[in-house]
Amino acid sequence: MSYGLIVADVRKGTFDERNLDLIGFCNILEVDAYILLPKGDYDVDLSYFKRVIRLNMEEADFLNPLNIGAIVEKTIEKFGRPSIIIFSSSSSGMEMASYLAGYFNVPIITDINGLSKEEKVFFKSCYSEKVYAHLRLKNEGFSVLTIRSGSFKQHANKKCEVTETEEMDPPTLSEKRSFLGYVEEEKQEIDITKANFLISIGRGVGKKEEIAGYEELATLLKATLSASRPVIDKQWLPKERQVGTSGKTVKPKVYLAMGISGAFQHIAGMKDSECIIAVNKDPEAPIFQYAHYGIIGDMHKVRDKLKELLKGL
Amino acid sequence: MEFTNTTKVFTCIQCGKCTGGCPESGRTPLNVRLIVRKNQFGAQVKNSHLWYCTSCGTCTVRCPRDVKPSEVIFDMRSTLVESGDISTSIQKALENTFLQKNPWGRARSKRAEWAEKSGVAIKHISDTLEKRLLLSCCVHAYDPRCHVIPVNISKLLTYSGIEFGILGEEECCCGNEIRRIGEKGLFEELREENISNFNRYDVREILTLSPHCMNTLKKEYNLPKLKVYHYTQLLWDMIREGVVKIGKDYKKRVAYHDPCFLGKQNGIFEEPRYILKSIEGLELLEFSRSRENSLCCEGGGGRMFYEVEVQYERNAKIRVEEAYELGVQTIVVSCPFCLMTLEEQAVEKGIEVKDISEILVEVLE
Amino acid sequence: MNIVVFTKRVAAAQEEELKIVRDGEDLDISKLPFKVNDWDNYAVEEAVKTVEKFGGQVTAISLGDKESDEVLRRSIAMGAKEGLLIRKDDPIFDPAVRANVAFNFIKKHNIVFDAIFTGVQAEDDQFGVFGGYLAALLKIPFASMVIGIDEWKTDHVVVKRELEGGMSERVRIGIPCVLSIQTGINEPRYVSIMGIRKASQVERKVFDGSEYMENIRSSIELLRWSYPPKKEGAKLLSADIDSACRELLEILKEKGVYQ
Repeated sequence: MSYGLIVADVRKGTFDERNLDLIGFCNILEVDAYILLPKGDYDVDLSYFKRVIRLNMEEADFLNPLNIGAIVEKTIEKFGRPSIIIFSSSSSGMEMASYLAGYFNVPIITDINGLSKEEKVFFKSCYSEKVYAHLRLKNEGFSVLTIRSGSFKQHANKKCEVTETEEMDPPTLSEKRSFLGYVEEEKQEIDITKANFLISIGRGVGKKEEIAGYEELATLLKATLSASRPVIDKQWLPKERQVGTSGKTVKPKVYLAMGISGAFQHIAGMKDSECIIAVNKDPEAPIFQYAHYGIIGDMHKVRDKLKELLKGL
Repeated sequence: MEFTNTTKVFTCIQCGKCTGGCPESGRTPLNVRLIVRKNQFGAQVKNSHLWYCTSCGTCTVRCPRDVKPSEVIFDMRSTLVESGDISTSIQKALENTFLQKNPWGRARSKRAEWAEKSGVAIKHISDTLEKRLLLSCCVHAYDPRCHVIPVNISKLLTYSGIEFGILGEEECCCGNEIRRIGEKGLFEELREENISNFNRYDVREILTLSPHCMNTLKKEYNLPKLKVYHYTQLLWDMIREGVVKIGKDYKKRVAYHDPCFLGKQNGIFEEPRYILKSIEGLELLEFSRSRENSLCCEGGGGRMFYEVEVQYERNAKIRVEEAYELGVQTIVVSCPFCLMTLEEQAVEKGIEVKDISEILVEVLE
Repeated sequence: MNIVVFTKRVAAAQEEELKIVRDGEDLDISKLPFKVNDWDNYAVEEAVKTVEKFGGQVTAISLGDKESDEVLRRSIAMGAKEGLLIRKDDPIFDPAVRANVAFNFIKKHNIVFDAIFTGVQAEDDQFGVFGGYLAALLKIPFASMVIGIDEWKTDHVVVKRELEGGMSERVRIGIPCVLSIQTGINEPRYVSIMGIRKASQVERKVFDGSEYMENIRSSIELLRWSYPPKKEGAKLLSADIDSACRELLEILKEKGVYQ
């Protein structure tokens, strides 16, 4: 029986939760899950897998896309052909997957976030999540797939009765690329366009004295503080922190808008944020039309409650 | 950046009337006279200083030697644009305009979304007989707050039996701001696209909703056969001729804010005032700086897309504070830029800012 | 130093509602405006910046229909020396096919390069495959998600790669190589209309794409398109501030911005 070969998503000795999506994916397709793991003491429940292949190599070499082709070749020699080789859609997962597919000149579908099992059809998002393409593989041999994080982890619920663990020596390692090290977080000037998490305050803040409380909240949440134009105009925060057409256009993972009603010029600068959470007293505030989550309430009260919860944690 | 000088700078006598009237001089690093002087010598000018100009046109209107200092600034800006030496927010506005024909990069297909709110049937220009084109500004098209303006005008025209049409998703930025930002090539492209639309649909007159659009169509498009006018002109005609009848009063203290592109640059001061004066109960007050001396709201000339370096008290704030002192309840405007900038400041003072069409719709029979 | 940059012209869909037509078979993008793929714009800028610093020249290549000439003109206006169009009027969806066509083109014309830059992904299909696949076909090293080039030597480069959670790593990679460039690596310059008009005077060579398609077949069948589940308006959290704040913290955890 054919199997699905999972190339583990590992980093700095951690087995990422994203791997659960790969396991869930194999379970839905009802193929045995094999996993490739480098040396290292990873906290992983091995009973998810039919076979665990421990490569006698460092994590950094394992993550080098130039090595993955030879690793897979060796795996095939030993265990036969998989039907699919799967990676997570992470930075290194995508890097290795695309290189591996080219190495064997086989088809590849990336960032799969759904499937129709009966038809053997995979879904992937196109045009930034506007539409899904339904794709079917027509090839005879194996294919390379990458899986979007969070898509299938609820299906990672099947344990194997027997898990076989095999050690495998790595192939000759490529010298054409080498890992030099992780880059320490450089203390940089604050750039709100690069922040993952913005807490943005607006006119509702009312008084200059209130700003400090939001700075404190931002520190507690490891967020960056930004603002809409009225706050900047009053010089309560420097203008580098201004979000909007005349300020900066931002696309953080989370944009927490507090006391911002949502003037057109402001919306234009933040509407593409991945997740927008709005806090405003006025349920009619236009910002709620763009928000994914909303709290109708006093921004200061929300701030103080959050601080209380965070400090209590 | 070093700039080459423009033809007329040598006629400048450095009298300083430009700087004297400039709404930015004194409070920001912008000194128009000095920029013209430096331009004569091809001397260094700090790039950032050029971006304080709001293109209100005061300097050009006041200049006794026809130097057109604001045009000198636009020329110098275009040197920056050509070398790519511009802020990212300006760059974005230009790229958006190139792509979607509006500076916010909103979908062109949503250009006429306001029409759905009007409740009246709005025709495409090709389906009209009189070929009277209602042209909205990008601000009307995309700022939900400003949708009400084309909506009101469409209603007023429809109820009065005045035929008009729109271009819908074919409508394209007029380029007034783009030219003033200094992107001359892009301005030419926009003008070309607009003119070809006007020709294709045999447009005979253009009813503009923004003084900015009116200004460039009138002065920078070379359309001798086309009648271009602002909606306040048409509204006044309609009231005067009794096509629309004012039937209710409006008991409020009101001040009219002259938009730069309507007033000082195009001499339209009276029509909006006539309209307001014809409303029973409305007490029309004047700002200390009005008509030719109207204080610029700072929305034009690219300032909508550029946050200047120096923080200072906004003109809009000064304007609102004066209104507050005067006991004004409503500031009336006839330009979407003024509406946006003034309203932002007025909220805090509890003063409302309204487009003149909003008042008119309230008082009609 | 010669850098080849692949640049793609894509439909700008961000602001639009995409229309799925013919019972899901097609996507109607005919009314959308087109532009250079955002990632490729950064790649072109990085290539131009690199040769400005170290000498050499940039060649922009686009695989697409005849309108793709637009992105070549743009690249030239940004500083590329020449633009080559591999003209293929029917769009190629499968990234493996795109990479194979590019590979055949490079081999057939014996294109010499020190590095090939691509964007990390294209805005339209979002595959993120082209660069890596092409590198493997060419049997040369590859790095993706490049957010910084720290060192450029005759036989190697040192690049910074973006990883998850604000982390990045530094890798050393031999030349010639393929680098997939991530947005944010630089600030792409403004290209004025005058600049593009001037660039139009530089000749762009056009090649018939079908000549590089021999024995290449796609193994991916695009069956249909569908819309993702509809996003509803803002989901209101509890009216009670205490519970609302607790829910808010849960959301922040779920989004991975707060642990």
